[in-house]
Parts: sequence; structure tokens; C-alpha cells
Amino acid sequence: MKMKRLVSTLLAGAMALSLVACGATEAPAATTEAPAAETKTEEAAPAPADTTAEATTSDAITLDMWCIATESDSNRHAYEAAIADMQAAYPDITFNWEAFENQSYKTKIKAAVSADELPDIFFTWSCAFLGDFVDAGKVYCLDDEYQNWKDELPEVMLGNTTYNGKHYGVPTTMNIVGLFANMDLLKEVGYDEVPGTYEDFLACCDALKAKGIIPFGCAGKETWCVTEYLESVIEKSIGADELNDIFLGKATWNNEGVATAVDTFQELVTNGYFDPAGVGLTNDEVKANFMAGKYAFYMNGTWNCADFAANEEFFPKVKVAEFPVVDSAKGKLGQLIGGPSDTLAVAASSPNAEKAAAYAMELGKLICHYGYLDGCGLPAWIPYGDTSSVNGLTQAVSEICANADSYVLFGDTAMNADDAQTYLSYVDQVYGCQVDGAGFIAGLAADIR
Amino acid sequence: MAKNKTMNHKSATNWKKGVTIFLFLLPALLLFISVLIAPIAVSIYRSLQDWNGFSEGTFIGLKNYKELFTNGSIKFMVALKNSMILAFFSVFVQLPLSLLLALLLGRKIKGERFFLSVYFMPVLISTVVIGQLWLKIYNPDYGLLNRMLDALNLSSWKHVWVGEVGYALGAILVPTIWQYVGYHMLLMYAGVKGVNPDLREAAMLDGATNWQVDRYVVIPIIKPIIKVSVIFAVTGSLKTYDLVRILTEGGPFQTTEVPSTLLENMLFLRNRYGMGSTISVMLIVLCFAFALLISAAFKEKDN
Repeated sequence: MKMKRLVSTLLAGAMALSLVACGATEAPAATTEAPAAETKTEEAAPAPADTTAEATTSDAITLDMWCIATESDSNRHAYEAAIADMQAAYPDITFNWEAFENQSYKTKIKAAVSADELPDIFFTWSCAFLGDFVDAGKVYCLDDEYQNWKDELPEVMLGNTTYNGKHYGVPTTMNIVGLFANMDLLKEVGYDEVPGTYEDFLACCDALKAKGIIPFGCAGKETWCVTEYLESVIEKSIGADELNDIFLGKATWNNEGVATAVDTFQELVTNGYFDPAGVGLTNDEVKANFMAGKYAFYMNGTWNCADFAANEEFFPKVKVAEFPVVDSAKGKLGQLIGGPSDTLAVAASSPNAEKAAAYAMELGKLICHYGYLDGCGLPAWIPYGDTSSVNGLTQAVSEICANADSYVLFGDTAMNADDAQTYLSYVDQVYGCQVDGAGFIAGLAADIR
Repeated sequence: MAKNKTMNHKSATNWKKGVTIFLFLLPALLLFISVLIAPIAVSIYRSLQDWNGFSEGTFIGLKNYKELFTNGSIKFMVALKNSMILAFFSVFVQLPLSLLLALLLGRKIKGERFFLSVYFMPVLISTVVIGQLWLKIYNPDYGLLNRMLDALNLSSWKHVWVGEVGYALGAILVPTIWQYVGYHMLLMYAGVKGVNPDLREAAMLDGATNWQVDRYVVIPIIKPIIKVSVIFAVTGSLKTYDLVRILTEGGPFQTTEVPSTLLENMLFLRNRYGMGSTISVMLIVLCFAFALLISAAFKEKDN
């Protein structure tokens, strides 16, 4: 018994000592950390002073950037080339950049915004995605810096990154939805060109189907791929202005024209024009199938031109065109889905925000330049230098855009995050024939907040 | 006087004992509060707000809870139904299979250790790897399953396994059951091995067959372990996420959504941290409720 008491007393004593010891260790640790923080503050504090003295001394600063130009991204080369140019031009600026996979980046950037841990420069999508960050006061206004670049960057390209009349983003490339066609397959059913009218287009699909060729490939696992088809059908049915107003919340979803257009799209599905296996595939898999000759048509963003052009065997077979007009009373050729979306922005919390803004502008211009040369999209900036090496497919897209009447930005980019997901949910249900046109408009009118 | 002294001494000792116990428990208590209680409390608080994660939240009362069941694009009821189906198959297919394997291996069969390792191996493999593996099996073009059906002249049975409404949930169920059979088997195997061999021998001497021994001796003894397995299987089904995320991403047409994929959707795609918190509160409540129900059911049976 005595022994037990002795042991428990010893244990309790040891524990008490350890608690005291822990406390003693923690207390100095806090005081050790405090000077460290002070040192940091001291280092950070002179930054504004440095800025004013810089003109005569040095521009040595560090800028960090996050983007989505991963190794497998078609824009990777454009980023690498642009960054190399910038590093050569500004040796005093230490530029660190990291690339993340598209989907995980969306999570990461939102978490960074919440925690106020944004890098100096970050990639973002325009309209509502960036708008949420602007509303929260996390993005640096680029109005002053834009004055230095307005001759090279038309203001019309800033529409999707302008909030309350202020500019917050540097657009890089712009893209539209294109109707890519495998001409070898079309020739098999007697078409030398992509059908220009909707009736002819349907006849072509019927002919392809009769020959055992699947007309369309669409990745059901990624709903944005379905919107590339659906939005084109809606736009060419009700016209760009009406669709734009709906996407921007200026008009209600309760629109009979939209319901009819959705039914038209659903007819394409129920007619068996879409690959049934596509429902379980990702966009990469569907794209690979298209390039392998499994489908005659593939509606997707024109950023794909770079990958198609890079495939020597496939490139001669592919053509790009506009989706034909469904209802000529409202829709017309030249009404396109797309616009500048890929954007660079500057964090308001950046200690070197002013310099980061200048850097982001110039970097954006270079990414745009190299991206255009690579065929990753059309230039949001006025092109310069020799652009004769741009691949034929991108040039064809340029031509379509040159004749453009109006652009409607991709629905899931135009809307805020919540509405976009509600919209994608209903698009998914339309593709799965779980709701018809009437159900689609009624559901969206009720559930869009 | 002496009595008072003894009383004082006793109460001082009791007080010291209490302090000692409290001090010993304090670190664990702080840890418990900070990693479990505090997040739940914050989730409940946030579930009453309309909050996008970076701006100030607005108090909206129970509106998120109402919307969870009324918004046609959120599909919480579909997610809940899918979790229940997963729980049903886990309890009535996975666990009996695990029990069967545990009982068989518990009979000291030849190659016991080898089979134990083989059945447990899927538990050791990362779920991402398993998901990718099964995606390749299910691929409609080059997948093993459709190729095998072709080879067997059963092409009409071919399907887009993860892309068709009627098959997608089943396509998730198979690898889920396969992956965790080994886990539950190991739990039950430990129980089976813990059964006193004398009891088994005595039953055998009385003329019981192997199955009768298992039925009337072993299973009643390992009942507490079976109860734990049932709780794990049901709550695990409610919390299931990884395989669904990899195999179907909640599709096709949101028919395989589960609460956790909805939660991810709300937080990271919709920026609706308030609604995300609502779903997490619902999950916590459901997990607790099911755990209590299962415990009560087992207790009632014992009584």
C-alpha cells in the first residue's frame, strides 16, 4: 500500500514537474518567437520605403505566382517562355511560380483567399469566379497600371474582369466553343464541308449514324462539356442577347425559347447522335477518342487547337466551324459562346502590389503572345511580331471571331459559383433526359438564388 | 477531535486524488475539445449562416436545413438514399462474407496466414489506387469486364458501368464491399481466435459439427465485435467519399451522389460554406443516431 502511494506520489510529482517544465519551455518559446515576428515586421516594414528609394537603388523583390499551367496543360509552354522572358528582363525580381491541377486549384485558391494567403499574382477565371474575391476585397485594382497598357490591351477585353467600373484582371487568351469535325469521317457520308444549316447538319448526323459512325462525343463525367453543346443550341435558337441576359441574371430562366432549345438538344441525345459510352468518360478520354476517329464531331473550347495541331496524323483531318443556326428568327451566325476568361490577378495583400501589378500586366501580355503562337487560344492583347507560324486551325478560329457578331461567356463562368453548380446540375439532368425543357427552366427559375 | 482530523485528512486526500485525475485527464480533454467538440460547435454555428467562406456570414436561421430538402439541384435525399443502400449492402453482404471468412480461417485451415494476408491486402492499398484499378476494369472500351463479356459471347450484357443510371451505384458497391471485407474479417478473426479452445473442444465432444460450434459458441462470444463492425459499416457508408469521387464523381446525372460528395460540392464548387456545414451537421447527427440505434438493437437482443 505504501509502495503504491509512493509510486503514485512520484508519478503525480513527475507529471506536475513536466507540466511546469512544459510551461517553462513554452513561455520562452513565445518570447523567442516574438522577436522573430518582429524581425519579419522590421524586414517587411521598410518595403514601402524601399519602393520610394528603389528608383535610385535596387528593385530586388520576390514575387510569387500560382497558376494552372501544369506539365500536361496546353498553356505550359506559353507560361514557361513568358516567364523566361520576364526573368531575363527583370533580374532583380525573384519570381517563384507554382502550377496546380485545374480542379484542385479551385479549392486551393479559395482556401488561400479565406486565409488571406494569396500569392502576389494568381491565375483566375473571369466574371463570377474573380468577382467573389473582388467583393471580399482581396484583389488589387489595376486601373492605374492599365493606363500604361491601354494601347496594347483593348478595354473591350476587360469586360469580364471589370467590377463596379474598376479593372481587376489581366486577360491572357480568349477562347470560343468550336464545332470540330473529322473530315475523313464526313467524307465517308458524302460531305466535303461541315454542314452549314441545321437541317443539313441533322441529315449529316443521320447519314453518319446509318454508316455506324457516332456523330458526337461528349464527356458526361464533366458537365461543362455538355454545356458546350447545350449553350450553342440555346444561343442559336434564342439569340445571344437573351441568353446573355439570362446568364447575367438580368432576365429570368422562365423563357419558353430556352425550353424549346433544350428540347431540341434533347432530341439530339434521344436520336442517338451522342456516344452512349461518353456518359462515363472524362473529357481527356473523349478527346482521345475523337482524335482516334471514333466520333465525327466534337464541340469544345478552341484551346484544343494546340493539341490537334500537335498531332501530325490527325491535324490534316480536322476542321473547325460554327454551330449552325437552329432558329433563324433570333439566332444567327457570328453569335458565339466564349470570350476572355483566363486571367491573372494581383492580391490586395501583396506587400509589393504595385510592382506585382506591373509585372502581371507584362507577363499576361507575353503569355497571350506565346499562347497564340502555340495555338492555345486567341489573343486578348493586340498581336505583335511574326504570327505566321500560328497553326491553320487557330487561324480558322480567328476568322470565325473576325466575323463575330456577339459573344456570350460560358454559363458556368458567367454565373456565381453557387448558381453555376445549380445550372450544371440541371444541364446534367437534361443530358440524362431526367428533365425536359419545361422542367429545366422551371427548376432553374426556382433554384437559382 | 481525532475523528475530525481523520475526516479532514480523508477529504484532503480525496481532493488531491481528484486534482491528480483531473491533471492526468486534462491533456486528453483539451485535445478532445479542440479536435472534436469545437469543430462540431463551429459547424453548427456556421450551418445557421449564409457564408461563402471569405466574406462575413449572414445569420439565416434554419433556412439551409430547409433548402437541403427542397432545392432540386442539391439532391440531398438522393445522397441519403444512396448511403442507406451502401449501408444495407455493407451490413447484409459485406459483413456476412467477412464473418464467413473469419470463421473459416479461425478453424486453423491450411494456408491460414496466406489467406489472411490475401483478404486483407485490399485494405492496405490506397483507395485512389483501387478506384483507378476498377475504373480500368469498368472502362466501356478497353475495360476488363466488357472485354471478358465479349470473349464469353455475352456482348449484349456489356454496359457503360459507371455511366449508366441503372449500374453506376452497383459499380461503386462492388469495390467498396471487396475493399473492406478484409477489414471486418480481421476484426472478427481476432475475436474468433480469442474464443477459448476448450469451449470448442467441449462442444465437439458433445457431438456438435463445425457449423454448430460456430453458430452456438463462437458467434455469441464475438457478438460485441460484430456490433462494432455493424456500427463501422453503417457509419462508414454514411461517410463514404473516396471511391464515389473517383469512380463516378456523383454521376451520372447526380444519381450516385453521397452526402460527402455533396459536402465537397457545396464547399469547394459552390462556395457555400454555410450549406456545407449544414450537411456536415446532418452527417454527424445521422452517424450518432445510427450508432445509438445499433447499440440499442444489440442490447435488446441480448436482453
